[in-house]
Amino acid sequence: MNILKKIQFFVGLATLISLAVGLWYVYQAPADFQQGGAVRILYIHVPSAKLALLSYLFLTVASILYLWKRWESADILAEAAASVGAAFTVLTLASGSIWGKPMWGTWWVWDARLTSMLVLLILYKGLMVLRHSLDDPVKGARATAVLAIIGAVDLPIIHYSVVWWRTLHQPPSLASGENAQVHITGPLLPPLLILSGAFILLGLYMVTVKARQIEARRRLDALEAARMHHDE
Amino acid sequence: MLKAIYRIAWKDVAGDLRRRATLSSMLFFAISVLVVFQAAFEPDRKEALRLLPGLLWATSLFTTLVGLGRVFQAEEEDGAFEGLLLASVPRGVIFFGKWLGNLLLTLLVEFLILPLTMVLFNVDAWQQIPMILAILTLGTLGLTGLGTLLAAMTRGARSRETLLALLLLPLTAPLLISGVQAVAATLVEDGAISPWLKLLVIFDLVYLAITPWAFGWLVEE
Repeated sequence: MNILKKIQFFVGLATLISLAVGLWYVYQAPADFQQGGAVRILYIHVPSAKLALLSYLFLTVASILYLWKRWESADILAEAAASVGAAFTVLTLASGSIWGKPMWGTWWVWDARLTSMLVLLILYKGLMVLRHSLDDPVKGARATAVLAIIGAVDLPIIHYSVVWWRTLHQPPSLASGENAQVHITGPLLPPLLILSGAFILLGLYMVTVKARQIEARRRLDALEAARMHHDE
Repeated sequence: MLKAIYRIAWKDVAGDLRRRATLSSMLFFAISVLVVFQAAFEPDRKEALRLLPGLLWATSLFTTLVGLGRVFQAEEEDGAFEGLLLASVPRGVIFFGKWLGNLLLTLLVEFLILPLTMVLFNVDAWQQIPMILAILTLGTLGLTGLGTLLAAMTRGARSRETLLALLLLPLTAPLLISGVQAVAATLVEDGAISPWLKLLVIFDLVYLAITPWAFGWLVEE
């Protein structure tokens, strides 16, 4: 896993640089004429929401690969992506609440995207708990991979059912076409794009760190099992 | 194929009807949930009518969890699960057999819960009973499909009942929403019921199509 170590170093460096540049832009960007300084929270909120969903996509692909090819590395990446995705989901919900209080006058509304994000968080938690509540690690890995795929099928259904149920949220900030009612343009756009890139790098960095940690953990467990076996 | 599904389901249902283990614990669990709701909300007649869809679905959902904890109980001992897998039928057929058994027991309990809820909460909606039962049945098809898969997934897991609840409740959010809205639409005049029925059908189709395959991946050796 020496390659992972090298990748981790360069990704980490790129993350630091792009985060610094992006945040500097956010500092320089003008305040919104309606939202004032609070608009700056969106530069964190929007990229972390993207990462919360991208992590699930990554997790699903890794899970399919694991079930199909039985590569242990795919399972390690899936396990890493679950905790990284959960972290970004928490960040999305928290930053959204902090933004919602001054803008909507309330920390929380049961609107489509907030509800879906909350369900996503429970799903990530379920994936993490399921893996460790089965004694046989192979069974745990397989059950988690199957659950990840079920979740991937369910998430769009959850989203659309909640959209039908109620919608009060602003339309997506970066949507184009007729649906876009709020446009982020001009000086507000570069920091959002840079920070989105920076968050993708950050997510990759976190996955590599977590994957190396999981790999070390599994090697230790295998050594421990071998030692117990030897003692008997 | 159909015969194998029926045989597996009947083994579970007949066994349970004789011992009344799952059935009676589901039923009494449902009654205690209803008592909790009554004590928590103390609705008057008008409020009870508004709360009825939610009460019904919440009680059914919690009660389903009790039944799901026992779907594979008959197979826990003496390697009976491995024995079942050795049967010379596709894995999907075994899954559908276990699903059908669970579905029948769950529906039986739900059909008892509905009049019970109406009596206990003084709701006068007796004319709507056939429609509400149809909606409950439609929702339960997919609910038990997903539930049976999750029960297979958590076989032998530590603190399994809690895990089942943690996994099942978020995934069934669309079912709960559309089921509650559909029942609510039957209780008011000219309520729009068809979009919710469509969503229930989509949920059922997706889950009954994907879960037999997922079961196959899960038990592969």
